[in-house]
Amino acid sequence: MTLTDAELERYSRQLVMPEWSGAAQERLRSARAMVIGAGALGCPAATYLVAAGIGRIGVVDDDEVELSNLHRQPLHLTPDVGARKAENAMVKLGFLNPEVVVEPFPARLEDLNAEALLTGADVVVDCSDSFATRYLVNDTCCSLGIPLVEAGVLGLFGLVLSIRPGESACYRCAFPVEPPAGSVPSCREAGVLGAIGGVLGSLQALEAIKLLTGVGEPLCDRVLQFEGATAAPTVIATRRRADCPACCDLVRPAPAAAATPERV
Amino acid sequence: MTSPPPARRELDLTGVPCPLNWVRTRLALEAMQAGQELFVRLDAGEPRESVPRSAREEGHLVSQDAERVRIVRR
Repeated sequence: MTLTDAELERYSRQLVMPEWSGAAQERLRSARAMVIGAGALGCPAATYLVAAGIGRIGVVDDDEVELSNLHRQPLHLTPDVGARKAENAMVKLGFLNPEVVVEPFPARLEDLNAEALLTGADVVVDCSDSFATRYLVNDTCCSLGIPLVEAGVLGLFGLVLSIRPGESACYRCAFPVEPPAGSVPSCREAGVLGAIGGVLGSLQALEAIKLLTGVGEPLCDRVLQFEGATAAPTVIATRRRADCPACCDLVRPAPAAAATPERV
Repeated sequence: MTSPPPARRELDLTGVPCPLNWVRTRLALEAMQAGQELFVRLDAGEPRESVPRSAREEGHLVSQDAERVRIVRR
């Protein structure tokens, strides 16, 4: 065991869990996560990954903190308005847990840089706010073979899905048709309650921890939808598509097409 | 020539509060093999009550005398 005294104390409340172990803690510490977006989902997702003791975390976001972000992005505080989100997230996450290496990437994830940004990650947590970025992150993770946690929130509603490329349904398997630009309202248009981002972003951190440590059962081939208005969770089974352009060439043969859950 | 792992280990956790004493006990057990013995010194009171209970809950064989708690790893 190479956990230091400070680490034992910091992580003591998870190290006593029957499901957890020193080995799980060390697996988490040796892992690198990339979080795409430091907003409503990315703030809680990164917070809980850093608090739990992930070894390294990259935060990709090219936005600056605005007053209208603060109700749902709890790493960004009122004095931070105007700061770069990636850099501000690095500062706040460093206060939370200086044992973790936090790497800010004040860039927008695009076709040209997606592979370079995601290469080397052990898990990618997609906290982006556009379908175009989500499909790009999914396709890049499939081609690089990196486990991925996808989520989306709008209004009082959210969903989350874990992906092991080549083993379980990817985002494109679950949602094969990319909605045309503008067909689904954005947070700016439709609004979102901060706490729903907290719920789904926290679930993303939980899923990433499960994927990295082998503790528990990740939401692979299952989409968890959470309707905040009624607090009703729904789990919808999904599976790989034989004709999926993102993942059909990966190791395991894909079964026939599956039902498509409601999207956000 | 490599020597086999020691069949028993000792931990002095006097002065270590709950739940950190159980964390250290648990990590020590994790590094041992089934059937090996761990002897733990603990403060009287809550530590002497909760560490043996936690060890039993995880399926280890536990006994204790006035000085030490003996845990046989499951």
